[in-house]
Amino acid sequence: MYSKKILEEFKAHGIEIGDRISIIESSGANEGMLMPRPDVGESDVIVIKRDDGYNIGIRHGKSTKIERVSGKPAAPHGGKTMAKQQKGLPKVTLLYTGGTIGSKLDYVSGGVKALTKAEELLAEVPELNGIAELEVKQIMSVFSEDMTHMEWKKIAEETAAAINNGAKGVIITHGTDTMHYTASALSFMLHDLNVPVVITGAQRSSDRGSSDAFMNLVCSAYAAAQSDVAEVTICMHANPSDKECLLIRGTKARKMHTSRRDAFKPVNNSAIARVSRKGEINYISAYKKHTESDAKTVATTSFEPKVALLNTYPNSSPELLDFLISKGYKGIILEGTGLGHMPINTEHPGYNWKKALKHAIDEGAVIGMTSQCIYGRVNSKVYSTARELAGLGVIYCEDMLPETAYVKLSFLLGNHKKEDAEKMLQKNIAGEITDRTEVDWVSDI
Amino acid sequence: MQFNYKELGFKCGLEIHQRLDTSTKLFCRCSTGQETAEPIMSVERYQRAVAGETGHVDRSTSFESGRKREFKYRVFRNTTCLVDMDEEPPHHASQEALETALRIAAYLDASVPDEIEPMRKEVVDGSNPSAFQRSMMIGYGGMLKFGKGSIEIPSIFLEEESSGIEDAKGEFAVYRTDRLGIPLIEVDTSPAISNPKEAKEIAMQIGLLLRLSGKVQRGIGSIRQDVNVSIKRGTRVEVKGLQELDRMDAIIEKEVERQVNLADIADELREKKASVGSPIDITKIFKGTQSQIIGNELKKNGVVLGTRLAKFKGVVGREINEGKRLGTEISDYAKKAGVKGIIHGDESMEKYSISGHELKELEKELKLSNDDSFILIAAERSVAEKAMEYALLRAELSLQGVPPETRAAEPNSDTTRFMRPLPGGSRMYPETDILPINPDKDAYARMVKNKLSAEEIRKDLEADIGNRQLAEQMLWSYTYQSYLFLRENTTVQPNLIASILLEKFTELRRKGIAIDEISNEALQSIFDNYSKSRITKLGIEELLKLVPKSKAEVSGYIKEKSLSRLSGKEVEKLVRDNKGQSAEETRDRIMTKHRLNVDGAELNIAIRKIFGE
Repeated sequence: MYSKKILEEFKAHGIEIGDRISIIESSGANEGMLMPRPDVGESDVIVIKRDDGYNIGIRHGKSTKIERVSGKPAAPHGGKTMAKQQKGLPKVTLLYTGGTIGSKLDYVSGGVKALTKAEELLAEVPELNGIAELEVKQIMSVFSEDMTHMEWKKIAEETAAAINNGAKGVIITHGTDTMHYTASALSFMLHDLNVPVVITGAQRSSDRGSSDAFMNLVCSAYAAAQSDVAEVTICMHANPSDKECLLIRGTKARKMHTSRRDAFKPVNNSAIARVSRKGEINYISAYKKHTESDAKTVATTSFEPKVALLNTYPNSSPELLDFLISKGYKGIILEGTGLGHMPINTEHPGYNWKKALKHAIDEGAVIGMTSQCIYGRVNSKVYSTARELAGLGVIYCEDMLPETAYVKLSFLLGNHKKEDAEKMLQKNIAGEITDRTEVDWVSDI
Repeated sequence: MQFNYKELGFKCGLEIHQRLDTSTKLFCRCSTGQETAEPIMSVERYQRAVAGETGHVDRSTSFESGRKREFKYRVFRNTTCLVDMDEEPPHHASQEALETALRIAAYLDASVPDEIEPMRKEVVDGSNPSAFQRSMMIGYGGMLKFGKGSIEIPSIFLEEESSGIEDAKGEFAVYRTDRLGIPLIEVDTSPAISNPKEAKEIAMQIGLLLRLSGKVQRGIGSIRQDVNVSIKRGTRVEVKGLQELDRMDAIIEKEVERQVNLADIADELREKKASVGSPIDITKIFKGTQSQIIGNELKKNGVVLGTRLAKFKGVVGREINEGKRLGTEISDYAKKAGVKGIIHGDESMEKYSISGHELKELEKELKLSNDDSFILIAAERSVAEKAMEYALLRAELSLQGVPPETRAAEPNSDTTRFMRPLPGGSRMYPETDILPINPDKDAYARMVKNKLSAEEIRKDLEADIGNRQLAEQMLWSYTYQSYLFLRENTTVQPNLIASILLEKFTELRRKGIAIDEISNEALQSIFDNYSKSRITKLGIEELLKLVPKSKAEVSGYIKEKSLSRLSGKEVEKLVRDNKGQSAEETRDRIMTKHRLNVDGAELNIAIRKIFGE
């Protein structure tokens, strides 16, 4: 926003954003289109777009004069661009939840607008044509870091509804930061799932010609329309090249890089398939397949909100756990060190977690142990520390990702009795636990 | 050809691009040094044309549909990072680059914005993995004085260098990313240049000012001049990639000639009511043809398409530049679809071994009359169709006059070749990953106040070198920066530095030695070895020929090529060992064998010692 002083000056001259104005200084005049003030930088610097397309900022000083030259340029004609949808292809529903994927940059306002009509999306991503008969639906517009179990519920219900309505597959576009949490949540929530549910997003915004959004969307469409996978998956770039995507099991995916387009990797698992930009689907490991069945997909949508993910590290304080328990937390997933350890034998009482753990378990909390190593399996049998932790009642979560374990415990406590939840936490429900680890299940990123 | 430029309504403006010699790239901290290592990997990318803002499909966009969209980028250990690969947001702008750009703006008396807004400029040829180039306007409203005149400098930009193309022919266009993102300064003039000679003079003057900043890269390719040329009856055509200033005036002259001839052709065609027909498949005429060029395509299941150009007879073959005809221009368009060329009706059919019978049949099929011409294209069907579409587009445009195009200067000639239609309004939008930059306006005011004129710098140089001619040459030379660097970092006499950088470098360059690739570190080391009497003057030249890249390489070469200077007792021993009848004979004997290792003056003293005065 511009400063109050400048806004008043604009008002006095009848100037609005988008008008052609002239800024006259002692050194000369500058003409161009008045641009909105970016939300960064100084509020008394006026930004104009020159005829050559460049923006420059000129400070409004005492001797600066502003004049209105003319009004806004005529709005671009044509408005919405539409493409015709090909009929007779597998029906796929695309649920838009937010983020820049499946959206279009408004060059005038600088804002991003969702493409909520299949015809608009097809015009924007013509490569999608001929893969599926798309139905596009915006169900929310939420940054992925702002997602809660309330949004998960909405997404699960919309997904189930789309499937029960005859969709051969569902694509969910999602911000990437917490995409793997949502993928886990949907994996646990959707029962009798008999079609592919493919979550995708973009690491580079779709306003650039190099965006990964387009290929991710295209590969997701192939996976949703043509694969026989009956699981919740994430479909994103396999490597920095625009050649193929990985289809990764929702409970085994993790964002492993802040910015690269191949940020999502399978952890303690193989990807299910590679999907090329041209549509070849190359299955590389076992998965749950589509079966002939009339069963409706059901979304179980309750979550226990009082569950936390807690990291232990040198000098970490057991007061953190005490605090959570005092606030009524019912489940904690610990991200321990190594095979699943934490400080319970230190002679410094302020750093020894044993008492706090005992207290938490006595209070009825379910405590699960995962590893901050991310890769590998926790084990309560090798070292005495882990044996002791298990003895206290800490549940060892095998090769489950900490984030997945967190979502799972929250889901279990939301839908089951505590005793059942404890048992189920250690058992595979949706591919989150494997009983053997293959030797190449480590990413080389 | 002599033109009256004023009468023609000649308009010409320059865009000078100069790579800066900063320690890092503009928006990441990769090295800007010459990459000598092999790439560590390649990344394949597919770029989409981001749909236009207006939704309007124009000629150039339809042309783009035939363009390559798949690219391969070579990645290097030290000169490529995730920012270059569009895998990480940009870092803050290089302060060194900004300061250099402002210093150049100060030389041009430009105004600097209070807030510099980094922008993204869409790039469609794949030369940037992000599909846009980061660019910011750092100066406007400047003025350049040259000779007796002056010209406005409406804009100065600081932007990212593009990737260098390695291979454009294969399935993928292959680019190297070592050069990508190096800061580049662009200085534009207003289109008020009055004739080709003046264009060259202004380009030289801008080049000089850029070098005065002391921070520009040297060597071929580090400076590029684009020229915009139009005449009243023509249109704006951009000629890209002029690397040698020497040819600038000749190239502009040729472009004016081209525009005049194309305008004449358009007038003539319109008067004749010429028109362009529709393509017809005439493959059957050529069953069993003797023409190799057609037969080869038919063997590969290709087709022959033909189109009538009504009332074009004689015009397609009309020369518009030396060795270039309207047919060449039509063919250049068709080639963009992947054919080797076209056959047109103003050519001799015997050249292609097309028989009289085939020609008759063709005339019948295309319904040609005497004053008509035609185009033939033989290729695989989809390629032939696209190529014919492009060819007909160009033929159609010849009725209108000069098509707005971006053209490339051809190597070893003054003519140009079609690259692509001139893009419409450039698509620019803000680079939202970088904060706007507030330049230090007080520092800029000081730069403007304290800047030295070229004349003042020349005077200082003359005092330093002690030779007016060398000083003058140095000021206009690419090696000016190396001179400043060596003056600052070595103790060698200025006139020796100057004569080596000017005369020796030119001599070696003419011999085809890539002397401009020598590194500053190596240069410094060579001169240090000289000033410490470890090598002789001739040794300097020997080392330069080897174009070393580091201090270690210089030391290595001195050993390997036995370039160590002999001195003191060693020289006296040489004189005794090679003693001849006279001082001259002794001297000659020694110099024949040891000229690289013995300093002439020192040898004379030693000889005098033994032979007496």
